[in-house]
Amino acid sequence: MIGASISRWTMSYFAMALAWLFLALSLMMAGVGYPFAEVASPDTLVLVHAVGIGWLSIAMCGALFQFVPVLVAKPLFSEKWALPALVLLTAGLVSLIGGFLSLGGRLPPSLWLLPLGAILLVAGFGLVVVDLGLTAWLRPAGPARFVLAGLASLCATAAFGAVFAFALAGWAGSAGNALLAAGIPLHAIAGLGGWLTLTAMGVSYRLLSMFMLSPDVDERQSRMTLGAGALAIGMTVAGGILAIGLASGLSVVLSIVAVFGLASAALYGRDIAGIFRARKRRQLELNMRMATLSFASLAATALLGIALVVTDGFAAHIGPFAFLAVFGWLSGLVLAKLYKIVAFLTWLETYGPVMGRAPTPRVQDLVAEGRATKWFVIYYVAVWAGTLTLLVGEPYAFRMAAAAMTVGVVGIVREVIRTRRLADVASPVRLPGGAIAPHLLFARN
Amino acid sequence: MPEYVDVDVRPILRAGGEPFSVIMAALERLAPGQGLRLFATFKPVPLFAVMANKGFAHAEQALDGGEWEILFTPTETKSEPAPTAADGPGLDDWPAPTVNLDNRDLDPPEPMVRILAAADNLGPGETLSALLRREPVFLFPQLEKRGFRWLGGFTPDGATYELTVRAPS
Repeated sequence: MIGASISRWTMSYFAMALAWLFLALSLMMAGVGYPFAEVASPDTLVLVHAVGIGWLSIAMCGALFQFVPVLVAKPLFSEKWALPALVLLTAGLVSLIGGFLSLGGRLPPSLWLLPLGAILLVAGFGLVVVDLGLTAWLRPAGPARFVLAGLASLCATAAFGAVFAFALAGWAGSAGNALLAAGIPLHAIAGLGGWLTLTAMGVSYRLLSMFMLSPDVDERQSRMTLGAGALAIGMTVAGGILAIGLASGLSVVLSIVAVFGLASAALYGRDIAGIFRARKRRQLELNMRMATLSFASLAATALLGIALVVTDGFAAHIGPFAFLAVFGWLSGLVLAKLYKIVAFLTWLETYGPVMGRAPTPRVQDLVAEGRATKWFVIYYVAVWAGTLTLLVGEPYAFRMAAAAMTVGVVGIVREVIRTRRLADVASPVRLPGGAIAPHLLFARN
Repeated sequence: MPEYVDVDVRPILRAGGEPFSVIMAALERLAPGQGLRLFATFKPVPLFAVMANKGFAHAEQALDGGEWEILFTPTETKSEPAPTAADGPGLDDWPAPTVNLDNRDLDPPEPMVRILAAADNLGPGETLSALLRREPVFLFPQLEKRGFRWLGGFTPDGATYELTVRAPS
């Protein structure tokens, strides 16, 4: 079959991802992990992996199971792998977090949980990478190239992480210990910069031009953006391992990576500005207006990074830098797009079968943007305030910011659930001509 | 015998692409009386009806490896036998569209809504044509479920997607 159908498990991925986000926000409100503990402490590792794997990676995988088939206009290589992958990822993350808690003395010593978690996560991400990779490979053009580069980065991130997990359990030998001692930045850059950022960029190119009626970005142009980003990640992995092996030159490698990374972010900014300028649709939907706050956060992250390097404060302030990248840029974009994707998929699932045969609502009738706007604004303002509290070293104010972020996310999730339940659709067109209301957590395709 | 212009869409098909627009572009460049020699990786039955509509008869010949060579000859030259070999019910007659939609400037998913609404009003075997900005990937499964056939592709400049939908006869 040509074309793309509704991905059955995307909603399940989104729900699981949001559950992890709430867990992470609760930890931040409770003062567990950074900034109440060291950046490299076991408590911070719990927090970082709940956000990086639990929230962002699982949400991204769920979105990609739906989106990659749309990019290539071909069905997913295997729909059957999506649910086992989610189970493996969840089990692996629970085990990994158990290992970190045991590392920090919060659980009885059971460091074997770390390698077990790593194996389960590698298996889960392996299923995702093979499934999405084989699908994207069918038409590797434009945004699909970004996804492929993102998946390659995911493999590198998972490989680093697995070595670290085995090294922390004492099972990785001297090479593993050397990598663990110096290689954490490589793992973080490959994960946040490669997997999550490159993939988010690729997906945003198509979503933005689709929803704003704008021509696709010229392929030669986006290829430069991807090229700079892929060079940064390739340099991180290859140059980083080499430098650690030679026990010198890692800071030189990371400086080169930073230059390529900044170039990629700047080129991406140019591409996105082009899409906005060329759009036929003047009136922007909420998800698009909120996405601009996310782009602004990416630009602010880049500027903050430059400012910290110039003032020689980067190492001391890696926390606020990463916080702004993770919650302003990545999480903000994922929340804004999730809001739209859930509305669109719910609309398609419910009304697709009766479309043209009975009056159906518009996608916009499923959402109440006026109500949702304030939750997004609260979220973004809280993230920016949180970044400031981290910069000036006010951990208690940071907990207030985390509480405000939670209020924003609770509001957004409530809106998304209302959308899924068709709660805002007026009754005559809510379920016309035999349309069936969707299930909250999966699609009946 | 008329002259034939060769169009080989096998590389496009092997790459998973959509050759319709390339064929239509080649057609527009033909001089009066010229025919088209098409090479494809499958027998493009729906195309026969489209070409018959445009005044071309076809004669197909199987090549090795499941590939096909099709000669499209302008019927005015009378150099080939009468057009449109019936290959199966409902595959050989794509009449001129009864509905023409220009959905290029509509917000998604409005193009899809309008196509499905118009398609449901078609009589048996009738066709509609629609212009779009993008390949309507979510529309195809809906058309398939309702028993419609379709043929589509981008124009050579890549700016417009031309879609023809035919109701079940």
